[in-house]
Amino acid sequence: MKPWKYAVAIWMTLVIIGGFLIEIPEIPILLESARNLFLHVPMWFTMFVTFGMGLVYSIRYLNCERLELDRKAAAATQVGLLFGVCGLLTGSLWARFTWGTWWTFAEPKMNLAALAMLIYVAYLVLRTAFDDPEQRAKLAAVYNVFAATTIPFLLYIIPRQMASLHPGAEGNPAFSEITAPELRYIFYPAVVGFIGLAIWLFDVLDRYKKVQQQLKQRTIYENS
Amino acid sequence: MRIADLQEKIDTTTAADTLTESYSQQWEAMSQLDQAGPVMQFMASNDLIFVVLGVSLIIWLVLIGFLIRLDKKVSSLEQQLENTESENRQSKETMYTPQENELE
Repeated sequence: MKPWKYAVAIWMTLVIIGGFLIEIPEIPILLESARNLFLHVPMWFTMFVTFGMGLVYSIRYLNCERLELDRKAAAATQVGLLFGVCGLLTGSLWARFTWGTWWTFAEPKMNLAALAMLIYVAYLVLRTAFDDPEQRAKLAAVYNVFAATTIPFLLYIIPRQMASLHPGAEGNPAFSEITAPELRYIFYPAVVGFIGLAIWLFDVLDRYKKVQQQLKQRTIYENS
Repeated sequence: MRIADLQEKIDTTTAADTLTESYSQQWEAMSQLDQAGPVMQFMASNDLIFVVLGVSLIIWLVLIGFLIRLDKKVSSLEQQLENTESENRQSKETMYTPQENELE
């Protein structure tokens, strides 16, 4: 195991401890659940980073058609989806106790995030539809470029044009004067930590896929 | 020192208040808490700290679920590798048996 992974493990442990122990200002309705900022929001940041990695690998695949790049794109997207699902579930639980509902259609960010998840689920479904790895890789890469371009619109541009229950709707960035400064001391390290964790998961998943690929090639070679 | 501390406190409360002023009228929070079930009442107790616990658990369970699935997949890969290797050994052994040679 590479040393940076130990660093991520220790870093995340400290972030979790710090997130529960620091003094936070009293915000009505949110109360202690304001600490969810350290967990719920980094999920989305991590998802952006991993989907971004997937996009870069897909574009690189289209450029030079090396199958390993397609494999990496798929692994990054899978990990991104994992964090997106975490973001949706944690958001839903948080919403129940602050907005008073598990799910509301009056909230554009929530629904568009779910839509973005479905677009990426379609990417994984699309991948299973092909037996030929070259064909699968090419179509999946093209689809992934499309999927990634919807993300800024679905999660940044459209929600900011509409009324929203999320802080930071109607044009103002979510993370400006309205967030108490103390929360940032944990929030930023949490973002870094979760991104590190995601890259770790991506690495393990990618290595698994690599061995799987090699084994498949070997059986094909031996059978022929 | 005390004035500075006080000043800092005022600053944070105003920062926090901007949030509530702009959004609290839309946030229903737990207004019907007394009609909610015991689980919901428990979750809302202690200033909602159990919501943070719930959120942590969701993330933990999703990630550990992913890890368990991946572990199982790696195990099946190992099994596959073992099978192909034992097949190879068998095919090598059978290649040298006289019966096989006779058939050829």
